[in-house]
Amino acid sequence: MLHFAYIDPGTGSLFLQAVIGVVLGGLFFFRRMFAKVSMKVKKVFKRNDGKSQKADKTEE
Amino acid sequence: MTEKAKKQTKQKSNPVVTAANVTALKSSFRDPAGYMYRDGGKLYRLVTSVGLPDYTAAKAAGLHDALTKDGLMVAHREVPKLSVDGAFVIAPDEVKAITYPFEWSFSMLKDAALATLAVQKAALAHNMTLKDATAYNIQFSGGRPILIDTLSFEPYTEGEPWVAYGQFCRHFLAPLALMAYTDVRLSQMLRDHLDGIPLDLTAKLLPRRARLRPALLMHLVMHARASNARARDYKKTSAGVRRTQLAAILDSLERTVKSLSPHAGRTEWMDYYTSTNYSDRAAKTKQKLIKQFAGSLKLQTVLDLGGNDGHYSRPFADRGIDVICADVDPNAVEYNYRRVRQDKSRHMLPILINLTNPGGAIGWGNEERTAPHERLQANLVMSLALIHHLSISNNVPFVMVAEYFSRFAPNLIIEFVPKEDSQVQKLLATRRDVFPDYDETHFEAAFAEHFKLVEKAVITGSKRTLYLFKRKSNAQGNRNA
Repeated sequence: MLHFAYIDPGTGSLFLQAVIGVVLGGLFFFRRMFAKVSMKVKKVFKRNDGKSQKADKTEE
Repeated sequence: MTEKAKKQTKQKSNPVVTAANVTALKSSFRDPAGYMYRDGGKLYRLVTSVGLPDYTAAKAAGLHDALTKDGLMVAHREVPKLSVDGAFVIAPDEVKAITYPFEWSFSMLKDAALATLAVQKAALAHNMTLKDATAYNIQFSGGRPILIDTLSFEPYTEGEPWVAYGQFCRHFLAPLALMAYTDVRLSQMLRDHLDGIPLDLTAKLLPRRARLRPALLMHLVMHARASNARARDYKKTSAGVRRTQLAAILDSLERTVKSLSPHAGRTEWMDYYTSTNYSDRAAKTKQKLIKQFAGSLKLQTVLDLGGNDGHYSRPFADRGIDVICADVDPNAVEYNYRRVRQDKSRHMLPILINLTNPGGAIGWGNEERTAPHERLQANLVMSLALIHHLSISNNVPFVMVAEYFSRFAPNLIIEFVPKEDSQVQKLLATRRDVFPDYDETHFEAAFAEHFKLVEKAVITGSKRTLYLFKRKSNAQGNRNA
């Protein structure tokens, strides 16, 4: 197994990020969208007081 | 004589620091950006000309200030009078006790992981990035994990992946997943793998339900496969990682780490204080005697060996004395740390140590990561209800116990548990009694080789005796002081 010594173990980590970045980036985007939409829906159905609106904003 | 040499002889009281005339600490040699050294007992970090541009960039970006303000990185001050020839010296606030990741409980490692991610997020917000994510760069100070390596940053370039992602997974995610899904004792694999647990090995040891969890599948299993890809494949295929994608990866790591929790296992120790033979009265007497014995000592740091969840040393911490509470049971250490977090205790440091085989003296030249007695110096060692575990369960002669304890501190409070004690009877029930010398007389004689007896008292309500010893001046110990 000596040949392992010549493989840069960092390279795979960098490569993987390019792949999972696309997947996770997409999920991340949708999760944020969903959070925004659900926040707006909540707003329509429930009148927020100023305090929790502020809290919602910081969560973004 | 050159100009430089002339200058050096002139400034004898203020020695000039160059790479040639200071000796880096044995743990500090990998990063060409700088190294740690000691001078006159004080701790300094030399920033070499290689590291200076990045240091300056991080400082200019306001990252140092932001991190120290949030308690995520140790504060430092610059020492321009020691700086020469493009090298620069800073004096970081010293962390009182250096501990290693394999000495942390699950939640300690988890909090250290979250701190590392928080640091990287802050770095990106300042257009910098964390280039090292080794768990050894995190220490516990004031009850919280904190980054100690000021030189871990470099400027962030849009499109670049996180260079320390692999290291983060090996140092934090892999051991946490193994501890959560397989066995909490697997943290000890970190003793063997100083740059984190190899991901292919992690994937082999994780149960299927863990490997199939999407996040662990990506960050550990696929990561392990990708790590065996060849370097040139990357250069051909890499499309870069956008900033938002990087944020998403960090977010995923954070969620994953947060979601992991250790097996909720009870050990014999967790019930110890309810099921022991100790009457309430004896426990209170013991507590009172400890306070009385310690009253005559000037204490800054107490090391409680076999301290369980910190039951008897917590009163010291509550009075503002630093306590390092070591125990062999991961659950006791975990429980202690949760108390620390809950109470926001600044003076209690729980650590996992197996005294019969303490970790350390490992790494390059067996000097990179040192043994506990070289790192954890105290004014007082406490060893309560421990001697029978060492001398009967592990056959360590009294005199060797005495010598080992004398390495840590000049004072010792130790409880002797005689054979008649029900806890010792339990140990002897399954063993042949090959311990004819296990009695108070032999105990005192053995400890007299390394200590002077100051005081002793019977713990009323029990058959045990509490001793206060002072280390003999010719005994070894406190090499660091």
